[in-house]
Amino acid sequence: MSENHQELLERMRRMLATGLQTTVEPFPPTEKEFFRIAEALRALDPDDIRGKLVIAGFLDHPYGPENWKCADCIYYLANRKWCDLPELAVPVEPDWYCRLWRM
Amino acid sequence: MSFLNAEEPGVCDLVTDFGINVLWHPSLGMELGERLHELLQDLIAGRRPLDILVFEGTVIRAPNGTGEWNRFAGRPMQEWVRALTAVANYTIAIGDCATWGGIPATPPNPTDSMGLQYLKRDRGGFLGADYRSKAGLPVINVPGCPAHPDWITQILVAVATGRAQDIALDDLQRPKTFFSTFTQTGCTRNMHFAYKVSATEFGQRKGCLFYDLGCRGPMTHSPCNRILWNRQSSKTRAGMPCIGCTEPEFPHADLAPGTVFKTQTLMGVPRTLPTGIEKMGYVKMMAVAKAAAPRWVEDDIFLV
Repeated sequence: MSENHQELLERMRRMLATGLQTTVEPFPPTEKEFFRIAEALRALDPDDIRGKLVIAGFLDHPYGPENWKCADCIYYLANRKWCDLPELAVPVEPDWYCRLWRM
Repeated sequence: MSFLNAEEPGVCDLVTDFGINVLWHPSLGMELGERLHELLQDLIAGRRPLDILVFEGTVIRAPNGTGEWNRFAGRPMQEWVRALTAVANYTIAIGDCATWGGIPATPPNPTDSMGLQYLKRDRGGFLGADYRSKAGLPVINVPGCPAHPDWITQILVAVATGRAQDIALDDLQRPKTFFSTFTQTGCTRNMHFAYKVSATEFGQRKGCLFYDLGCRGPMTHSPCNRILWNRQSSKTRAGMPCIGCTEPEFPHADLAPGTVFKTQTLMGVPRTLPTGIEKMGYVKMMAVAKAAAPRWVEDDIFLV
């Protein structure tokens, strides 16, 4: 990616703040559905940030009955503010959410 | 074959240092054909003592309980097993097939396979729950796919040197000295487990393999990270998830597509949590640990 971490994070923040409609539902209940979403992400150009946000169902706030958020997800690297899921590999804020959330 | 890689002690040590006379082994045995037959008959008739019977492989009972689908030395293997276990002072089952029935006994179990004294987690198996060898012990189970060679040779030495009664067995008749700890015990990724940093690809040196790649190290009893393989490494150290091969349920989830090397979750939470941990505790621990994770745990500290 040509942008640095902070620039990319800012661009993503703007997209989410200005009402980008992402596929928040349905949440993948099992690995089978999770794999299908990951497969769709793998088909994207790695620089297609908008596509990643839409398919993964990103939100710029916690979501769900238990307020799930990136900070609690196993793919989140807290010190780098980074999503380490290979199919995403994007900077994220701790209080964001996507439907690939896993604990 | 795993047995031949033993190092502490090695196979030759069994003979030279501990006086074990290996009567027969598929790769080492000198007896063939009629001479093997004669040897087996001598053992069964009591003309030669059988101190330790080490059995590897599942007991195949198909078709219709005859065992004809697996013949050895002129008769169904199950008949040899029945006869030899009746005269053995000690009986040791090596590997998942001999202990629990193994992969062949996975439903629908077309070969009607079972372990010597278990069928998966159900006690009984081919010999029945009440079986005792002549020395009064049940079958000593040394599971694994494969079993670590040193587990085999160390148990053989204990039996051969008269310390069999000191081998404490767990509720699945596995020697506690090997199977009371977890695969995770001694894993080099424990700090990543503690701080909830996940490995996301095979072979990665950072990250715990439990969270995403289906590692069963936190709920599998084995010493794989205490007694290393080839004295060098282990699956998890090499970036390969533990597949839980020392537990009776192996292969887990009956090898259903998508269940191997992928942590099974329900609404984002692992279906099987580390042994002894409740979901609420797991959730709390996750939040705290991630918040406390130091920077270095996110880096590959093994690279220089």
